[in-house]
Amino acid sequence: MKRLTLFLVVLLGAYLVWTTQDLPDWGDPASPANSYLSTHYIKKAYEETSVPNLVTAVLADYRGYDTMFETVVVFCAGLAVLTILRRTKRKHKKNVKFRPQREGVDIILQNAARLMIAPMQLFALYVIAHGHHSPGGGFQGGVILGASFILLALAYDLKSTLRRFKENTVLFYSGLGVLIYAGIGVISLVLGGNFLAYAAWGGLLGISEVEAHSYGMLGVEIGVAFTVMAIMFSLYLDLASGGDLDEGL
Amino acid sequence: MLDAIVVILTVSGLFFFLGTSVGLLRFPDFYTRMHAAGKGDTLSTMLLLMGLALYNLHHPSPVSILVSFKIMFIGVAVFIASPTATHAIMDAGYEIKLKQWVRRKEPTTPYAGTERRKGVAK
Amino acid sequence: MNLYGSLLWQFDLLIIPMVIICAIAALTIRDLLSATVVFGAYSFLMCLLWTEMLAVDVAFTEAAVGAGVSTILMVATALHIKRKSKD
Repeated sequence: MKRLTLFLVVLLGAYLVWTTQDLPDWGDPASPANSYLSTHYIKKAYEETSVPNLVTAVLADYRGYDTMFETVVVFCAGLAVLTILRRTKRKHKKNVKFRPQREGVDIILQNAARLMIAPMQLFALYVIAHGHHSPGGGFQGGVILGASFILLALAYDLKSTLRRFKENTVLFYSGLGVLIYAGIGVISLVLGGNFLAYAAWGGLLGISEVEAHSYGMLGVEIGVAFTVMAIMFSLYLDLASGGDLDEGL
Repeated sequence: MLDAIVVILTVSGLFFFLGTSVGLLRFPDFYTRMHAAGKGDTLSTMLLLMGLALYNLHHPSPVSILVSFKIMFIGVAVFIASPTATHAIMDAGYEIKLKQWVRRKEPTTPYAGTERRKGVAK
Repeated sequence: MNLYGSLLWQFDLLIIPMVIICAIAALTIRDLLSATVVFGAYSFLMCLLWTEMLAVDVAFTEAAVGAGVSTILMVATALHIKRKSKD
């Protein structure tokens, strides 16, 4: 049976590799993917949105509805882990053999973490705010922000981290991000545009409609960053402590 | 002149990377391997990044100086993070009492990883 | 399909075999913690591959999410369950 499966898998893989010779060349300007929509984005995106980074323009503006539900997916994933793991009784103590005995007394780690965390958070904010002009954006910046809190929890212990950044606050921020994203959409609906059509914000902010796209994207990225940051930290809290938030890795 | 410095920095960085790889493969136990990885890796990364930052300054302009500054910032981050990570891994190995390599097999007193920290207030 | 159309096909020849080796190793290693570490290496190699294809946004996401946080989350999970997988 195993041999048969292997044979079938190899056959299928060979077939897939064989079909690649019909694919267009790498970066071929005449390929179907490059000939209809993407030429419009490449030529018009800067005029329409005043955002130099095309990826951000497509992700947060042309495809903003999709990105909103990506954020909701992240939010739901965090809530699912929370629902399953939180407040479960642990049956047996942790696998002590593989973990150091002490927790939170390593001076070298703590001082290195002190040196690293503030630049990390600053860099994350830079990534979020600069996502229009350079690679980056809400997802990446949010993950780096969450990773800075995870670093704090790894170098110190989980309880002292939770004293600084309480679990309720984490969950509040995770919901706040989705609220900011959807709220920007709803307000542009109220202002007379379509859902997530940032051009409607131009009159409210006193700027041109093209610039309003740029600012709308910034707001949306901030919402994404809130949710992703909070959900990453919440996932770490639940997965590392096994649900009781007692002791981390 | 700048090219010569860049070549020297990059080649020495690659040389230390080679030394790191040889050390990782050839050293006998966990501690000596981590010793090779931690030191060689940090130094060679720093040298390579310095070489890249200098290479970027061929046509000095505000943009290229900013890019070189960012590359050096990566170097600073590596300089802090890499030795700390090595220390953490080494410490974890010490605490679960990994055996130390000795040239002759003679009975040595086993490690007492937790005793080292008795003086540290919890 | 034109192999030489890629920007730095020499890098392709180096990175793609390592990606495949890491993927197979991550599936076949029985110890879950080791598999997690190999998976982190796989994510980082994929990040290099994206960078080489000039998809810098995707590479950034892969480096932050794949190689960074998801490795930590999987280590945290692997320490809480039995480390040896049976199949």
